[in-house]
Amino acid sequence: MFRFQSLDEDCTLEKEEGLVEEEDEIDQFNDDTFGDGAIDDDWQEEHKRLAELEERKNEGLGGLGLGGLGMGGMGGGDASTVQLPPPASRVPHPSSLPPPHHSLSSMPPPGLEDRGGGDLAESLAMLILGADPAIASVGGPTGPGDRSTGLPPPPSMPQQHQLPPHQQLTPSGLPPGPLHPSLLSYQQHQHLLRRGGPPMQQMNSHNIWENNMGFGPVSVTPGLVTQMEDSPLMSIIKEVGLPNRPPPVMSEDGRDLSERAPPPRSSSPVIGSPPVRAVPIGTPPKQPMSHAMNHHQQIHHPTTVHVRAPVHHQHRYPPSFPERISPNTLLNMANSPLCRPPFPAGVGPVLSQIQRAQMLNSQVAGFPRGCQGPPLLPGGGGFRPFFGQPPPHRMGPHHNHVPCPIIRHNTTHLHPQHRRMLTQRMQSRGGERGGRVGDWRSRDPYSNLMTQREKEWVAKIQMMQLQSTDPYLDDYYYQNYFEKMEKRQERDRDGVRKEHTTKLITPQVAKLEHTYRPVQFAGSLGKLTVSSVNNPRKMIDTVVTSRTDDEEKREKQVWNKRRQILYTVEKMYSLLLEVQDFEKRFMQTPEEQREALLEQHKTHTLQLYASLREKEWDDRVSDEQCLLIMSVRKGKRLISRLIPFLPPLQAAAVVMGIARNLPALAKKDKQDQALCWLVEPVAVVISSLSSAALTDLLQELQGSEGQLSKVLQNKFGVTLLYLILSEGERMQSSDLNCQLMDDNRWTELVFSVTRELLNVPPSSLSPPLFTPPNLLSLFSRYVDRQRLELLQEKLQISSLSR
Amino acid sequence: MPLLSGLFYSFFKSLVGKDVVVELKNDLSICGTLHSVDQYLNIKLTDISVTDPEKYPHMLSVKNCFIRGSVVRYVQLPADEVDTQLLQDAARKEALQQKQ
Repeated sequence: MFRFQSLDEDCTLEKEEGLVEEEDEIDQFNDDTFGDGAIDDDWQEEHKRLAELEERKNEGLGGLGLGGLGMGGMGGGDASTVQLPPPASRVPHPSSLPPPHHSLSSMPPPGLEDRGGGDLAESLAMLILGADPAIASVGGPTGPGDRSTGLPPPPSMPQQHQLPPHQQLTPSGLPPGPLHPSLLSYQQHQHLLRRGGPPMQQMNSHNIWENNMGFGPVSVTPGLVTQMEDSPLMSIIKEVGLPNRPPPVMSEDGRDLSERAPPPRSSSPVIGSPPVRAVPIGTPPKQPMSHAMNHHQQIHHPTTVHVRAPVHHQHRYPPSFPERISPNTLLNMANSPLCRPPFPAGVGPVLSQIQRAQMLNSQVAGFPRGCQGPPLLPGGGGFRPFFGQPPPHRMGPHHNHVPCPIIRHNTTHLHPQHRRMLTQRMQSRGGERGGRVGDWRSRDPYSNLMTQREKEWVAKIQMMQLQSTDPYLDDYYYQNYFEKMEKRQERDRDGVRKEHTTKLITPQVAKLEHTYRPVQFAGSLGKLTVSSVNNPRKMIDTVVTSRTDDEEKREKQVWNKRRQILYTVEKMYSLLLEVQDFEKRFMQTPEEQREALLEQHKTHTLQLYASLREKEWDDRVSDEQCLLIMSVRKGKRLISRLIPFLPPLQAAAVVMGIARNLPALAKKDKQDQALCWLVEPVAVVISSLSSAALTDLLQELQGSEGQLSKVLQNKFGVTLLYLILSEGERMQSSDLNCQLMDDNRWTELVFSVTRELLNVPPSSLSPPLFTPPNLLSLFSRYVDRQRLELLQEKLQISSLSR
Repeated sequence: MPLLSGLFYSFFKSLVGKDVVVELKNDLSICGTLHSVDQYLNIKLTDISVTDPEKYPHMLSVKNCFIRGSVVRYVQLPADEVDTQLLQDAARKEALQQKQ
């Protein structure tokens, strides 16, 4: 027994039995016997019609007997009994050709001998291999030289049954071009096989096939399905609902599932295996039969099938084709028949997804064909083919211009700023890629396997789970990041535009030699992830340090305290974030709730300040608290973000507190220099201070003995000082009624500052973050010329920076 | 609900288009441009290159890849594309949300 048949086993055997039993039963869950979703057609008529078509087609083809190529897939004797009614008798004779992969099995299944080689074989051969010169002229991507590798190597065989047919291609690729029959691969056999079988039998094969197309992470439970009204899911229901109708409904759009016959079974049923759904959940949508061959495709097909719930179809998915033929094969062989409409009007074409894909492919590849293939899907803004396939608007061999393989992102849901960035980036890269278009892309056999609709459907399912009521909240980082970027760009627009590409510099990490080398198969990718107690993967280099009890206790205390502070900081942060977001939320809330929101906002703000201030004094910040919070880097950051939101009085109080405690803060900040974050908000506060307050501030800064010198040692301190002085100077020079000079405090303070500045050794004078330009004019009011020059030199205030 | 882990999804979304290096649990490191990410943190990379090509010659011809989120060990990011303050805020918000 071929192992690849087990794929069939799982699905089709049950299906088989189901076929027998369930003819009478109505699948309550999925079927509509009457009403909207029911199939009205007589399956027998459809079947007849289809059979006729096959005949006609087969007559036209001459003959290579394609023999037992597909026979492996047919399996043993069982298949013959059930799976192949009369039309199947035309399945290629096993003996007429040396089946290439029969080398993989012991012997061809007995049942196959019964089939006549006959017409079907020939017709199929003609169809596939074709006498058409166009096909003959088509070379495969790998060239004739690859013929020797046409067979999938034995080790990969066991995997084949688990993979969808077209994915079973070996890396070496399929034999290209007009083929020697012996080189037809398994998939081709399957194809031939399937062609021979009645569509009814194939009803489920496509299901399995499609299901195995790696519809991985998305699973839709029936319960879920019934709740959702979204059309992609409805289409699943629709498809699920069809299983037990053997007849192929060919002439309408509604016959989506008619071809989903299970592939022929060859073994006895596995007892206890789970019942298989005719259309497994999560099957990608089928494509309408008329889709492929109509040159003017309409994606939206109105009729639906077997849907219990009312379905509103926005998309119609083309029916999937049950045949398991490799895309490469089809590309190389089936072009001619695909080119011309094989069926008369009125009968839907039996065109598989792959064939359609191949048509599209071949157009892209520039086939010398007169006819214009079906227009590529007028897809929406959805997910473009990701791998390799050029954008669908390219058509036909007449299309000389070959665009770059632009990688398209699904930009519909992106922030406009992000989208802009991406398009810019792609444009800049598009130029590089122009030259590389060449061969590799013209023959991508795996492209266009999914229609635009299908891709959108897949994407939609995933995106559905991401829909949120409050995008701002759920997607906080993303939204804000790009808003900030926008603001930044607006600001920079006048300035120099920085064109910098972000290049990731990969760290060169030296590989540690472990005593244990993980198991690695030859030719495999990476290593087996097998770690055990004895061979753990080394993650962190932990060093054991031993400490005495006392030390530990002390450390614990320190850490506890720190933790407490951090906790407080975090609580304040959450308040701060609330306050910060107030504006945005305010805009979004309806009128009635705005009052409440405003109140809430005020409360938050008060709370924020309350955590900082002294117990009873409203206008003074608790030194202790302030110190505590600012001892942590996070706390400094918090304060710096907090200040802009406070009312001016309270902000001033905070700044006073900072100035007052600056030496202590400076000491703790030696390593981080995180205080400098405070410069900006503090500057804003200072510029809004009254003269009295300013004087007070200056006084605070100099408060205790020796404070100023310590202040001068710290970068932030110096900057703060300069800011204050600068503000005072601005007041004096601009405002004639300035009260700064009313009492002598200001003057005295400035005097003491200048004295200190002159006396302090240059080494302990920290350079400020920036030097305000009007310092010189300030000093010139208070000191004589000589000292002025000294100051100038020391502080490096140039006289030009007025 | 995948949205509960929305922080990372949101974060990676903002990195779409940037160059990253993804280190997998099987020790393979892949450098490429982040094309897209989904709520499971599956990653699609374009223009990939394996950082140690001698060991993994299979990847020489591969241009784009899809990486399942569960096999990723690390993602190395460009530092200047990350707004750490915003990230912290987002984390705080998410923590708040989870508490509620």
